[in-house]
Amino acid sequence: MSKNLHGRAEKLIAQERIEGISQSEHHWLAAHLRECPVCTQVAQQTTAALRALRGLPFPLPAGLAERTRFRVQLRAQEMREREPKRRLLWIMCIMSWALGIATAPYVWRAFEWAGERLGVPRLVWEMGFGLWWTIPALIAAAVVLMENLRLTNENDQSD
Amino acid sequence: MADDNKGLAQGLKRRDPDLLDQLIEQYQYRLFRYLLYLTSSRERAEDFFQETWIRVLERGHQYDGKYKFEAWLFRIARNLVIDWQRQKKVQSLDALIDPEEGAPMEFAALNQPSPLHLVLTAEEKTDVHASLDRIPTVYREVLVLRFQEDLGLEEIAGVLAAPLSTVKSRLYRGLEALRGAMQGGAA
Repeated sequence: MSKNLHGRAEKLIAQERIEGISQSEHHWLAAHLRECPVCTQVAQQTTAALRALRGLPFPLPAGLAERTRFRVQLRAQEMREREPKRRLLWIMCIMSWALGIATAPYVWRAFEWAGERLGVPRLVWEMGFGLWWTIPALIAAAVVLMENLRLTNENDQSD
Repeated sequence: MADDNKGLAQGLKRRDPDLLDQLIEQYQYRLFRYLLYLTSSRERAEDFFQETWIRVLERGHQYDGKYKFEAWLFRIARNLVIDWQRQKKVQSLDALIDPEEGAPMEFAALNQPSPLHLVLTAEEKTDVHASLDRIPTVYREVLVLRFQEDLGLEEIAGVLAAPLSTVKSRLYRGLEALRGAMQGGAA
């Protein structure tokens, strides 16, 4: 029997268990195994190895689930306590955004008027208007970022 | 099954404490076993076990119920282990490096037991334990996911965040290594 046939049989033995084989391949393999003791041994060893792997006993540490539940409950409580603060922050962001949009034309006119009165170049008061919009958002983003960093550090320390 | 997963996803989104208790109970054995195979350390596996469930609580809203819950759970656990390895710059024979892509395929020295071997020997030593001990972690991991956890190939690819071809290749090599190791152990 050629080496190619044994090679194909060994490949099919593994393939059958890993991803499955077609009906025709199954017939071919069965016929080959009937005639080839070497490949039959490979098939038996593979089956035995997988059976042993599936039936492998494993000891579980005592109280692991209870300890985990306790930690999860603590964390859940912590998250529940922080939830209102986060909600308030979101509400404030949304309100600030809505007010900003609603008042933008008036603020623009105010900057234009002040710019003309003070003799400031147009580009400067336009930049001022831009900063009026972006600085509060940048400060809010920095606060949220610092809060998240603080939480991460707290979690790392508690671990 | 799909409906069960959807219900599970909704419960996780709500951070339902009863559901979490039930999941911890239900998956404790499988998750701990997987982590022990990944980390080769009982203490670390316990730490990662607890951390994994805290992540499940925090990120439960990310589970959409399209895949099996255990695949998502194992992925979280695996990512935690990988993050820890990156942080600690762990360099060990059992690191989660694909021997085909990174370091060459290495086996524990015959006269020097690996941490997994010590963990298992302290508990209940069997031929399979000893054989698994001789297989690199990347292969051991896919064998456990496929033949102990009964995950499909695509689900394993999801857990590993690796292409299907990589999963298949690791499974073929892992199966060959397991058969060889068991044969060697029996000889």
